[in-house]
Amino acid sequence: MPDINITGGCQCGAVRYAVHETPFQIGICHCRMCQKAAGAPFVASFTVKKANLEWTRGLPAVFKSSTNMERGFCKDCGTPLFNNWVPSEVIHPTVGSLDDPNAVRPEGQMGTESRVAWLADIVALPEMSTDDAFKGYEDLAAEIVATNRQHPDHDTSVWPPKQ
Amino acid sequence: MNQDLPMRGGCQCGAVRYALRQWPTGPHICHCRMCQKAFGSFFAPLTGVKLDKFEITRGELAIFMSSDEAERGFCRNCGTPLTFHYVGSDRIAVSIGSLDEPERIKPEYQYGIEGRLSYFGELAAIPRETVTEEDDPEKAAAIHRTNHQHPDHETNGWHPDGSEPDAEGR
Repeated sequence: MPDINITGGCQCGAVRYAVHETPFQIGICHCRMCQKAAGAPFVASFTVKKANLEWTRGLPAVFKSSTNMERGFCKDCGTPLFNNWVPSEVIHPTVGSLDDPNAVRPEGQMGTESRVAWLADIVALPEMSTDDAFKGYEDLAAEIVATNRQHPDHDTSVWPPKQ
Repeated sequence: MNQDLPMRGGCQCGAVRYALRQWPTGPHICHCRMCQKAFGSFFAPLTGVKLDKFEITRGELAIFMSSDEAERGFCRNCGTPLTFHYVGSDRIAVSIGSLDEPERIKPEYQYGIEGRLSYFGELAAIPRETVTEEDDPEKAAAIHRTNHQHPDHETNGWHPDGSEPDAEGR
């Protein structure tokens, strides 16, 4: 495999992957099937050859949204992990599951027949940081940080950490 | 825009269906890194109701506690992220994309901007737009013929293989 190791995984860390190829065909899909699979206005994904995607911890669960379309996710935390058109030699992991989602930049959009009318407006919504949103709720914020079960954005040798 | 209640939604496969018995409030997107990873996406789109106005009408939520304070509900069978609930809160949020009509709920705020992706501002201007049916008609037809996604309305039964239930919902 090429000497590339781009890592990602689900929120809880039960499933981790590495891609050994520079991601290509990075895009979002607005189609109604992707929307409902992701619980979101679109699925954001990138593309690599299946041969260059390695499951380094655990394995994804799969829902076949149609006979040849597999949607991978973590059965322990639900994170959507990939779309896989079975006959294809490429696979489409989700951008948000990457440890560094800023490493890819969307360059196409599909399924525009289902694009929500408000999509263009969300880039300009009033905005607030998490710290500001928790002003007055500092104890709750501290408790979330102290008990955070999200896997860190890098590979770990043991997860969850031993107490 | 349709103002009817309850507002319904559910996961992709239809194993979990829910009803909101009040108009949801506080629609927003959250860019925080926890929401990004939970949704596998750029942000989580959420809107909430009082807990007693939220009803699971089919199946049950699987829960991942992303911390001791937060329960993230999803479908164990297909993975769709469905809910966010602070332990002890009298409100619960649902994912806007899991609503049967996500057009009805336009986000009004964005939170967690410390995690906002560098290219988020270009979202409305991503080039190379394609329509599903024109992109790959043969593939689109194959998906349409064997679609296992639950329809965007209530059904009287659900089959995990996507086949139609009979008149009794079996």
